[in-house]
Amino acid sequence: MNALVIYALLLKATCTSFSGLASLPLIREDFVVKRHALTDQQLNTAVFAGRAGPGPNGIYVVSVGYFAGGLPGAAAGLLAVITPAFLILPMMRWLKGRTESARVRSAIRGVILGTAGLLLAASLPLARDAVVGSLTLGIVVATFLILSFTKVDSAWVMFAAALVGLMARG
Amino acid sequence: MEKPALARVANAFLRIGNTTFGGGDTTQAALQREFVDRQGWITQEDYAIAFSLARITPGTNVVAFCAAIGARVAGWRGAVAGALAETVPSAAIAVAITWGYEAWRGNPWVHAAIAGAAAAVAGMMFASVWLLLRPHLRSMRQALRAMLFFAAAFIAAWEFRVTPLPIIGAAALAGFLWKDE
Repeated sequence: MNALVIYALLLKATCTSFSGLASLPLIREDFVVKRHALTDQQLNTAVFAGRAGPGPNGIYVVSVGYFAGGLPGAAAGLLAVITPAFLILPMMRWLKGRTESARVRSAIRGVILGTAGLLLAASLPLARDAVVGSLTLGIVVATFLILSFTKVDSAWVMFAAALVGLMARG
Repeated sequence: MEKPALARVANAFLRIGNTTFGGGDTTQAALQREFVDRQGWITQEDYAIAFSLARITPGTNVVAFCAAIGARVAGWRGAVAGALAETVPSAAIAVAITWGYEAWRGNPWVHAAIAGAAAAVAGMMFASVWLLLRPHLRSMRQALRAMLFFAAAFIAAWEFRVTPLPIIGAAALAGFLWKDE
């Protein structure tokens, strides 16, 4: 895929989401469902690659770009992560004080709740692809419980799950 | 307050932004310790403004946060340094991991490890859904409103295949018109 197209599609996703993984529904729609540039398994791997290393969770967008267009695609992904961040500079100047508006805060919370619904809809096909037996189902449930109710770093959970996969094979 | 050299600011972002695991919240807490408490480059108020505005800036919150903190300390060059230092090294690591997957995916051992990790990613996605919902479930009224927004977005996407953008727009409009407090 052309790097400019990758940048435009990823930018559309990052510009309309308000946290790292919230861009995933739109990215899945554009890259997996519409253009078939990635499979669900590759999208899963991209999310893993973003979480396995240090830095922001949204960095998985770079891996999506890499899958879709090699190194130029990865560079397009990086730019799509960075570009919306600079919107904060004019916002700091003009919106200072307005974040206290109850209506603006309520609208933002509406977006967060809508994003949760979208994220669930995007997660189900990924889960369907990942669950291939009782072991992987157990990993899904255990990961959900650990990350929802403890402060354990997600990177450790990812590595532990990979290790469980290895041990199950051995 | 004396402005630090750009290299020192970039170095602090590089050191902290790329050695903290666990996503944006961990990084922002670590940056607060360094920029506010240890170096005194910004005030607690600067930090709080950057933190809250980053929450409503589209994209990855922590990258916007770093741009804002960088701008406060060293102007637009600080903003660029903050955003780049936070993302470039971790992007390189993510590409290396992705490349490794592509190169080794035929190997059955790597395949087994990836299968385990892929299941964990699915569990993590469900946990993200829960963590997004949880703060909105404090009272019965708030929880009912939250579940209505959540369920409407899920059904629109899952059952009726509505694309994400109109759903996000509708959620913002509904939230604006129906205040939750």
